[in-house]
Parts: sequence; structure tokens; C-alpha cells
Amino acid sequence: MDLGGAIAGARSRVVAALAARFRDLDLAEDAFSDAALTALAVWPADPPRDPAAWLWRAALRRGLDATRRARTRAEALHDPPPPDPTPEDLAMQADEPIIPDERLRLIFVCCHPALAPEARAALTLKVVCGLSTARLARAFLVAESAMLQRITRAKAKIAAAGVPFEIPTRAAWRERLGAVLATLEIAYAQAYEDAALAGDAADFAAEVLRLSGLLAELLPDDPEVLALAALVRFAEARRPARLDDSGAMVPLDQQEVVLWDERLIADGARLLDRAAGEKSTGPYRIMGAIHGAHLARRETGATPWPTIAALYDALILLRPGPVTAVNRAVAVGMARGAEAGLTALGDIRTDRDLEDWLPWQAARAGLCEQAGLPAEALAALDAALALGPPPAERLYLARRRDAVSAAVRAG
Amino acid sequence: MQYMLLIYEPNEPYANASEAFLSEVVAKHMALSAELRESGQMVSGDGLQGVETATTVVTDATGGQSLHDGPFAETREQLGGYYLIDVPDLDAALAWARRVPVVPGGKVEVRPVMIY
Repeated sequence: MDLGGAIAGARSRVVAALAARFRDLDLAEDAFSDAALTALAVWPADPPRDPAAWLWRAALRRGLDATRRARTRAEALHDPPPPDPTPEDLAMQADEPIIPDERLRLIFVCCHPALAPEARAALTLKVVCGLSTARLARAFLVAESAMLQRITRAKAKIAAAGVPFEIPTRAAWRERLGAVLATLEIAYAQAYEDAALAGDAADFAAEVLRLSGLLAELLPDDPEVLALAALVRFAEARRPARLDDSGAMVPLDQQEVVLWDERLIADGARLLDRAAGEKSTGPYRIMGAIHGAHLARRETGATPWPTIAALYDALILLRPGPVTAVNRAVAVGMARGAEAGLTALGDIRTDRDLEDWLPWQAARAGLCEQAGLPAEALAALDAALALGPPPAERLYLARRRDAVSAAVRAG
Repeated sequence: MQYMLLIYEPNEPYANASEAFLSEVVAKHMALSAELRESGQMVSGDGLQGVETATTVVTDATGGQSLHDGPFAETREQLGGYYLIDVPDLDAALAWARRVPVVPGGKVEVRPVMIY
């Protein structure tokens, strides 16, 4: 029996049920850890028929003991009489306790918009996925003490501010679900961030994939939930192709399609098909379609830029913002000509100083090069390199800079 | 749980406001209070006089006290009123907070109240 696997497999469901029962995330996590430790000691000699049920029963017992102890302390009783069996005790004496599936409630609690987005992402990965504080600190590039503090604060706020352990009402549904999806997006962005950390980040990404899959399982009719799950699979499928042998970034439309992960692409396509059956269209569905269009190059050999540009035209209306606008400008340049792309780039209005923003300078360099303006392209590449890009992007930009500067000298 | 909804607003829209605008604001608050009372979730609520009427008692590091003419901090938005409500959870409190009438730039801070 794979003890670790059985424990990990049962974890989210048991912790969620404990959290809903006790309304206390720390208690739920501690009770589960205790039960798991006991399981590791007991199971080798006496393997359970249903490991999840065993863990649920043992953790619930510990949770009830802990709350009783706390109550006893609060009432300052000495030598209390043994308590009468509660309905929970009686339920636990049954052979196969049914573990209530409270995972959706737990996700909604951890992703409450009253918590800061980074805190939500860390808390959800900790409580729902069971990632350690040390692992999260590495993924979010902060010290372990800072990560611990972030999670502790979030838990304290949930308890003190009265964040409900409930599925949101219809009136609050959109906002609350939006916060859940944004949290998953942040969590995946963290995993995607540095392609150079292939091993470590890929393992972290697998957790986010699992979490988005779980949400799609719990809310199988929501097109945005399905589309986000598809989107992270499409993005993750490209991980093996994102760096070349020298460690330089390879842009999406130049990646070797044979390196893409066919299984993840197929999973994503299935999810996106299910989303397509639903009527409403949201930003994640369009983003999923954009990723899907890039992946079509596997079959056709060419990136369908006009389709992608049209999708970005729709996305910019639903989700305006400088990131969408820069990506749209690049797609417009490929689909409708460099002039159109540069116009789109020049039309971007934001509070941010675009000159100091790496994606803008990188996009500008590409469009200028495409427009036959090597001097302008060179200036944009110099500006981009001066903004301190991460190593893989630095290598890629430096290589392009060399090529453009050779062209300028030759011209 | 009890929550206090603290209403912070910039003063400019009120400074030279017409009689009609002010009575509209008052009417909106009256309507919200009536609805809160009807739901059984209102504990109390009031508007505050302007910050030009505020006096702050300042206790320094050694425990000495002095008076300061004005609010504790000169910020663009000032505390102008509050609602104290008793609702099941934060989501219910936030739903009421969204409905508090404020001028553009206004903020409503939601704070759980400690009950001793």
C-alpha cells in the first residue's frame, strides 16, 4: 500500500470536511496531520479498508478532543466527567462514515475577496492542496518566515472578521467566484513565471493543475471555471518547449511543437469543449481560445494570427488592461501588419510608465523590426535589456539585439 | 456578529453642496436605516459633524496629554458617520456596506466589533 499516496489523496476532502465542521482552518490542518502521523505508524501492520474514511474518523476524533479540551479550559473545570456521546461520536461509531464533500466551501473561504490576492493564493495552496510553507516560500520567492506570516495573518482574519464557511449567495456569486478564479490565475502565474526552474516549478504547477481540475469537478457547469482549467493545461503543455538548449526563451510561435505535451493539450481541449456548450462568454473562455489557436500550429504548421487578433479584440473589451493590450498589439501586428500593431501599441493608455515596462519595450522591438525600423528596434531592445529581464528572456533579447545591430551596421 | 461600517468621504462635494443635494443624501441614509431596522440588523448609526468641529486628545510617549484642534490625521477622506449592524457574517456586512450612500471617492471600512 502506498501510504503517502493514500494520505495525500484523502487530504483535501478530509481537511475541508474538518474545516467546515469546526470552522477553524488551523484545527482542521492539525487534526489531519495528527491523524496522518498515526496512520503512518498503524497502517503498515493493520491496513485500513478505506484509508480516507479511516483518516476522517481519526481526525474528527482529534478535532472533537481539541475543542472539548478548549471548552474545558475555558470553563476552568477540574476533572470533568466523561462527556455524553455527541451525534458526531455516534456517527463515527458507524462502520463507514461518509465524508461530506466541503471542498468547494473551503476554496471559497480561502479565496475570499476580503483577503489580499497573494494571501489567497498562498492560503489555498497551503490548506486545500497541503503544500508546505517552505515550498510556498520558494514558489512565491519570499522568505519562509514571511510566507508563514502571510498565511497566519490570512487565517486570523478569516476567524476574526467572520468570513463565512458557506457557498456564496446568488447575489455575491460572480464576485466570489471571480476571486477564486483570480486566485488560481495568480497561483499558476507563480508556477509559470520562471521556466528555468523546470523541475521545481513544474512540480508546483502540477498542484495548480490539480486544484483547477478539482474546481472544474466541483463546478462542472461553469464555463469560466472549465476554461481556466483548460487554459492552465494549455500553458503547462508548452513548458518543455519554452527554453532552447542554451537556456534562452523561445517565443510561443517559434516553439518546437513536437515538444508540447499532447496529454495536457487533449485534457485542455476536452475542458474547453465542455465550456463551449455553455452560453455565456467570459474572459477565461476567450483566453482559452487564444491558447487553443496557438496550439493549432501542431496541425496546420502556421499560427492563425487573424483568429488570434480577433479574439484579442474581444478580450480587450471584457478584460481591459495593459497586459492584454500589449499582447493584442503583437497579434494585430502579425495579422494586420506592423503599422497596425504599432498604432495599437501607441494607443495604450495606462497609469504605468510604459517606457519602463519590459513587455511593452519587447513588443515594440518586435513590431519595429517587423516594420523595417531597425534603429528603433535596437533602441527598444536596449531599453528592454536595461530593465533587468529574467535570465531566459535576457538571453533571448540579447541574441535579437545582436542580430538587429548587425542589420543596422549592414544597412 | 457585530460590524461597524465606518464611512470615509472627501469633503469637497459637501462643502458647497446645494440644499437639494444634501437632502437627497439624508433621504438615502434614512431609507437604508429604515431597511436595516426592518431586517432587525441595525444596532445604531449616526452622521458626525464636520472635521472642523473635531478636537483630538493626544497622549504623548510619556503619558502627557494635550489637545489638538482638528481630526487625528489630515487625510483627503474623513470619517463622517457610521452604522453599527448585527449580521451573521462578513459577507452580509459587506452587502450592507456596498449599499451605504457615498460620494465618488468615498470608502466604507467594515470592522468586526469586539464584544466583551
